[in-house]
Amino acid sequence: MRQSRPTTLLLYGALTPFSLLWLIPVMTAFMTSIRPLDEIRGGWWSFEGATFTLGNYVRAWDQGLSSFVLNSFVITLGSVAVTVATGALATYAFTHLSFRFKRLWFFLLITTMIVPIQLILIPLLPWFRTLGLDQGARQFIGIILVHTGFGAGWAVFMLSAFFRDVPKELLEAGQIDGASHWDQFRRIVLPLALPGIVSFAIIDFIFVWNDLLLALTLLQRDFQPIQVGLANLQSPHLAQQDLVSAGAILAILPPLGLFAALNRYYVRGLFAGGTKG
Amino acid sequence: MLAIFTLFYLWPAFNTLVGSTFRWGLLNPWNIARPDDWDFVGLQNYVDTLSSARFWNAVLNTGLWLVVFPVMVTLVSMLVSILIWQTPRAGAAFRTVFILPMTISLAAAGVIWTFMYDPDFGVLTRFVEWAGIDFGVDWGPLHFQTSQWLSDPGVIDLGFSQIRLINLSLIVAGFWAFTGFGVITFTAGLTAVSEELVEAARVDGATARQVIRHILVPQLKGPVTIVGTISVIFALRTFDVVWVITQGGPAQDSEVLAVLLWKQAFVFLDSPQAGLATALAIIMSIVLIVGAWPYLRDLTREQR
Repeated sequence: MRQSRPTTLLLYGALTPFSLLWLIPVMTAFMTSIRPLDEIRGGWWSFEGATFTLGNYVRAWDQGLSSFVLNSFVITLGSVAVTVATGALATYAFTHLSFRFKRLWFFLLITTMIVPIQLILIPLLPWFRTLGLDQGARQFIGIILVHTGFGAGWAVFMLSAFFRDVPKELLEAGQIDGASHWDQFRRIVLPLALPGIVSFAIIDFIFVWNDLLLALTLLQRDFQPIQVGLANLQSPHLAQQDLVSAGAILAILPPLGLFAALNRYYVRGLFAGGTKG
Repeated sequence: MLAIFTLFYLWPAFNTLVGSTFRWGLLNPWNIARPDDWDFVGLQNYVDTLSSARFWNAVLNTGLWLVVFPVMVTLVSMLVSILIWQTPRAGAAFRTVFILPMTISLAAAGVIWTFMYDPDFGVLTRFVEWAGIDFGVDWGPLHFQTSQWLSDPGVIDLGFSQIRLINLSLIVAGFWAFTGFGVITFTAGLTAVSEELVEAARVDGATARQVIRHILVPQLKGPVTIVGTISVIFALRTFDVVWVITQGGPAQDSEVLAVLLWKQAFVFLDSPQAGLATALAIIMSIVLIVGAWPYLRDLTREQR
């Protein structure tokens, strides 16, 4: 819409301060993380005699954050890989095949988007013990499979929006040429729906990376991801805001980097979820 | 996919449902394969839950989330999206600012907001001091205190119970983290409003108000429903922010249902309360499924 100059000025006048206000929390964490603790006591916004340092990061890293970060990557990349691979196959089945109880399955899948994860959380611990997934690195397998199960609804829901856009004619032509379902999936659907799959992978990455509850409940100390490390560092009784803020920034960076690099895909994925839902 | 889904979602969910009719704790978990250890109590867990004061305290706190959070998210994200929609040139930059907190984990958001509220060097605390609005109010049922965001911000006295304002401090943190979702959804809705339609209406002499009423409002109905529904779901499931900032405290002032459930299952290990926790999980799930029923039905119907 075209507006007069005063209206435009007014709009910018409203949006600019509001955006800056919105950035203050992130700014706070960032500034706290790059300055010594005793300087922060005077407020991070006072710059008199300010020193900037990466010392907080080094100390946080040495105090165990490094292994938390590594665990986070293992859990997140594993979960995204399994969820995307199985999710794409399942979505193909849901959009292009017919099988028994299809609507019931779909309904059950979609409930994962709505029920609280607490619905499955409590029996998981004894269940893992039964399956032998409660010890050592096998815990990673356990949590990856839970993330896959609970992310299945989102996967099928979002991916089917993209899979349905694949023109029917292409698939029919493929069938005439004698292509199997596997061929069709690999040669036709997958390449065409690739942008959608990338969008979903990013959203799933952010979702799994940011999970606190599952990891807090299911994993032992040495296998926990950064979010749990952060929640444990955070304590009202300890004055270690320098370490905590450095940890928070480290926990933010990977999803943020992904968002910055692939912003377009991320927003489009959420768009698809938003408009179709 | 369906196998993993069955093993790691349907099966545990079924266990929760069945387990909620037994008395057990995680030190000696209820096990479907060991019937000798079963301590069947029927619906007693549900009765106990529904008659415990602590449950209703958590319901009150969660209720505050359920009312305030969706309203804040929907109104602010709609307003921001409309403003951004009107500034096409810098729109993307503004939008990024509001979407950015969505990529931040709720645990990190919680940490960041404890800095904001810090009684010594929090931005908000210092701002209140600097602006000279550091005061307390006793106004009828409302007791209110600026600057003690997380320790004792005040209450609204209802006679039979108190609404504790500390929940609002936490809601603001969640709101900051989640508003980006609303901005994305509303922007998707607004992009569908055709420029020509608006221009045509202008040429025909429609006032700004008429444009808003007859073009914008109908177009935004869908997004309002989506943002409303998803933020209600978010509010009822909320755990991370509360856990990181207050763990439900002081005392149980900010304890929401999800936090109560977690404590029952994983903190009070000396008394077997996991049965109660599973009952609570079932209650929450039923409320959500019933509440989101129209949404679920529409989605399933699409599937043929």
